[in-house]
Formats: sequence, C-alpha cells, structure tokens
Amino acid sequence: MNILETKGLYHNFKGLEVLFDVNLQVREGERLALIGPNGAGKTTLFNVITGNYHASQGHVFFKGKEVTKLTPHQLTRIGMGRSFQITSTFARLTAFQNIRQAVLSKNKIRFQMLRKLDKMNKITEETDEILKRINLDGQRDIPAGMLSYGKHRALEISMALATDPDLIMLDEPTAGMSRDETHTAVELIRRLTEGKTVVIIEHDMDVVFSLADRITVLHYGQLLASGPPAEIRENQEVKDAYLGELEYG
Amino acid sequence: MRTKLLTWILWGLVIILLFFLPKLVNLYYLSLFLGFVIYSLYAVTLNLLLGYMGVLSFGHAMFFGTGAYTVALLLKHIQGIPLLPTILLGGLAAGLLAVILSPLLVRVSGTAFAMLTLAFSQLIFVAALKFREVTGGEDGIGLASLPPLKLLGLFSVDMNDKINFYYFAIIFVALCLFLLWFYTKTPFGSLIVGVRDNALRMDYLGFNLSHIRAINLIVSGTFAGLAGATHGMLMKLVSTVGVLDIGTCFKPLMMAYIGGVGSFFGPILGSGILHILEDVVIRFTDRIGLVNGTIFVLVVLFAPQGLIGLFNTVKAKWFQKEKVS
Repeated sequence: MNILETKGLYHNFKGLEVLFDVNLQVREGERLALIGPNGAGKTTLFNVITGNYHASQGHVFFKGKEVTKLTPHQLTRIGMGRSFQITSTFARLTAFQNIRQAVLSKNKIRFQMLRKLDKMNKITEETDEILKRINLDGQRDIPAGMLSYGKHRALEISMALATDPDLIMLDEPTAGMSRDETHTAVELIRRLTEGKTVVIIEHDMDVVFSLADRITVLHYGQLLASGPPAEIRENQEVKDAYLGELEYG
Repeated sequence: MRTKLLTWILWGLVIILLFFLPKLVNLYYLSLFLGFVIYSLYAVTLNLLLGYMGVLSFGHAMFFGTGAYTVALLLKHIQGIPLLPTILLGGLAAGLLAVILSPLLVRVSGTAFAMLTLAFSQLIFVAALKFREVTGGEDGIGLASLPPLKLLGLFSVDMNDKINFYYFAIIFVALCLFLLWFYTKTPFGSLIVGVRDNALRMDYLGFNLSHIRAINLIVSGTFAGLAGATHGMLMKLVSTVGVLDIGTCFKPLMMAYIGGVGSFFGPILGSGILHILEDVVIRFTDRIGLVNGTIFVLVVLFAPQGLIGLFNTVKAKWFQKEKVS
C-alpha cells in the first residue's frame, strides 16, 4: 500500500516551473531515496508535500486521504515528520529543551498551563531516553547552537523523529558532515527509523546505496526514473543526468 | 539545597519589608512604591510579548488604558459595585480587546506587529480623547471614592485609606506576578519561546502557531488591563495622558530593555530603576525624558541584554577566571 502518493504535482515560483507533473509513490515500510542534481526541485517537492508550500496544481495523498491543502502542523499531527537541510533547531535552548518540545507535541500537550513543565516527570524521562538513544545525554544542557556540527545534525534529525511519525522525510541528513560523522549519522538513521517509512534526499551516493531500498531520480522538476539501487546504478539516462557527473565508481 | 534556603530567606525578608513599609516611609513614597509595583506588572506583561514571544508591542497602553477606563466608568456609573469585580472586569475588558485584535495581530511579526499595535493604540487614544461625553476627554474621569473591599461577606476594609489600599494592591499585584511567572514555567510557556526562536520548526512539530500567539496575546493584554485597573485606583484619576498616550506605551518598553528582556524579573528591575531615577532627577530638573533617554541609549549600546544580562555576563566571566586561576 502507498503511504504517500502525489498525482500530477506542479509547483512554480512566479512563473518558474520547479515541479513538473510529479507522480511520486512511497510504499509503506520502504526506504526511498530521492536523488537528483542541484536545483532539481527535491527540497521544493518536500516543501509541497509537507504543506510548507501549496502546489499550484495536482494532489497529495497521505494514508489514502487527500492532504494537498493541509498545513505543516496538521500533517505532523496525522503522522508526517520532516527534518531540514539547513539545521533548524531552537539554537538558544538546550539539547534537552529542544527534544522536549517534540516530546510535548507527541504527548499532545499543547495548552497545559496548570502544571510546571519541570515537574512533569514523564516528559523529562521520555526526553532523557531519546537523548541517550542519540548519544546526546552528555550534551544535555548545552544550547543547541553550541553543539558540534555532527551532534547538531543528530539533534535536528531526532526532533523530526521524536514526534513518532509514520512517514519520515529527511532532507539531506548528512549535508556538510565529515566522513566519520556521516558514518555515525547513517547508523543513527538506520537504528532510529527501523521498520518505518522513510523518504530521504541525499547527495552522498554511499549513503544512498547503503540506506535505500528504492531510488527515485528527480531531474529538472520531473521524475526521471524509479527502481531498486542496482537498477538505477545501471540506468543510462540517470548516468547521463546525474551519476556520471559524480564519477561514481 | 543551600541556594533554595537562601531564596526562601530572601523572599521572607522581602515580605517582611513590604509589610512594614507603611511604617517606614511617608505616604508620598508609599504611593511612588505602588507606582513601581504596578508598572512592574505592566512591564512584565509587555515582556511576555517582547522577551518571550519576540514581538515588539508599541501600543501596549491600549490594554493598560482599557483596564483603567473600564474601572473608572464602572465606578462612575454603577452605584455600589464591589471592588474586586471592578478590577477583574477591567482586566476582562482589556482581554476582550486582545481577543478582538488577535486575528490580525497573530498574522504579523517584526515591524508590522509594532506598527499595527501602535496604530490601534493611537486609534483608541484619539477615540478616548474625542469621545468627551463618556471619557471626559483630556480631563478624564476622577474617582471620588473607592468601594470597600469585602471579603467573604465578613470583613469590610475601607479602600480610601491609603495604607489599606497599599496592602490590597501589593497582594493583588504579587498574585498576578506569581501567576504570570508560573505561566512562563508551564509547557505552554515553553511553546511561546519555541515560536520566538523557530516558528517554522514549531509548525513542523505539530503546534498551531496562530493559537499560541493569540493566547499569549490575550494573557498579556488581560494582565496589562489588571495593572491599568489598579493604577487607575491608585491615581484616582483616569485620563488619556497617563494611561493611553504614547508615553505609557513607551515606558514599559524602556523598563523591559533596561532591566533585561531575557529574564522574567528584568522588567521589574527596570521599573524600579526608572521610578527611583524619576524621583531623584525631578529635584534637579524637569527634563526627565533626557535622562531616561540617555540611559536607554547607553543600555541598548553596551548591555543589549539589559542589566540582568550584564550581571549574568560579568558573573560568568568572574567564575571562569576563578576556575582558570
């Protein structure tokens, strides 16, 4: 069954067509990588699907329901999670407080004004547990903006996961990371997204081929090809458009 | 543990001092002190928007003034209305104003928010000035006498007695401040800070930004109204200049910035400093604005986090040096 589906999706920025008749299908439980050259429209596609932008034409279906016009918070509440290419945390809040915001959302605590947050032990415990799982318990009380790059990225990804989404959309989770950090991040993603549906935008082909069950290639706003990693690697069109440039061996 | 004990001792001392204050100072200083206390509450409500939610309200006096005018009108037109409901209705009226404005105000931030709040407050200011039959125009409405405070139908305390009113106002404002402090410590308080720091992320975490902004605006407006209501009773006169004019919009801003917008207690410190300063400066010159303005500029230039921020920086540096050596 498809957990996410787009039908004839178009998006333009003031006349510039960024997405052109995109028909994307994401099956429940799979790990799909979305690849393509810079400016292919990958992040725009994420923004349209997650409700940050509204499609100029076409439809988005999530869990069988049309969600084209929903906003990010509505989509999050029905089980969609998203991380950002440019790290987007609460820089002045500590790692603990960052994750706690997500834990509050997961527990549907939104307008609670009668209890002190510090005294809500269940929330604190749950947050600490997540911090431990992502090896950030040592940096619990450090402001997010002062974390090392790799740790900050890990925090970014975990915040998207902490709301316990059914579909996780990761936008270049390893962008700007060193070799070691990338390795750690891939392990982390694999561990945290076990048994979940993941859509991941990625430039690092090692990451793509090690994480993804299936690859979809986006080129100038259009879907070029879709299939298992081995098939995509041999696809001539994809090689011409993208892989060839990287001289992937 | 030790710091906790110290905190309790400190608060104990503050309460004892507040209790004996009417015995220590004359009525002039008692009234000045109440002015400081009421303005502290007013500045804290502004800081709920400025420091906690990251929007600059340039027209906060509209809530303060609405509270004050509501009290004045109620006391003038309704014979025998009890004290507490009058004040609470003042807050409620200001909260209602916030409810009415919130659909517009939650959609904007930054300069647009500042300009929009300024515009609405000026609109209300001019309306109060021109609608003489009701508001008394520039002369305002004088409060001849305050109703007695009736508690549980047992006690009846005369509120026209300055010292009785002092105790009432101190307890009332302290309660409001405690409620607001608690409010910032609740889960909802942390969501407000989240909206300030990264609204997009809050949206993606599943929080409705407009709801959070609107509720915080209503809370801030209501309590600013309560401050205005108490202020009107203290001054026994409610007129446009004093509760609705641009100066009343600007004062809590200066207090918050001078004390520090990053902390709950910053605006209270700022309110204290400005009130003491005003009392001292007026003995030498009546150009208070010049002195206040200079201090405001200096603080913004050299201590953008306010005096509490400056204190924290110095403390952090001092402790670091100690660790190194």
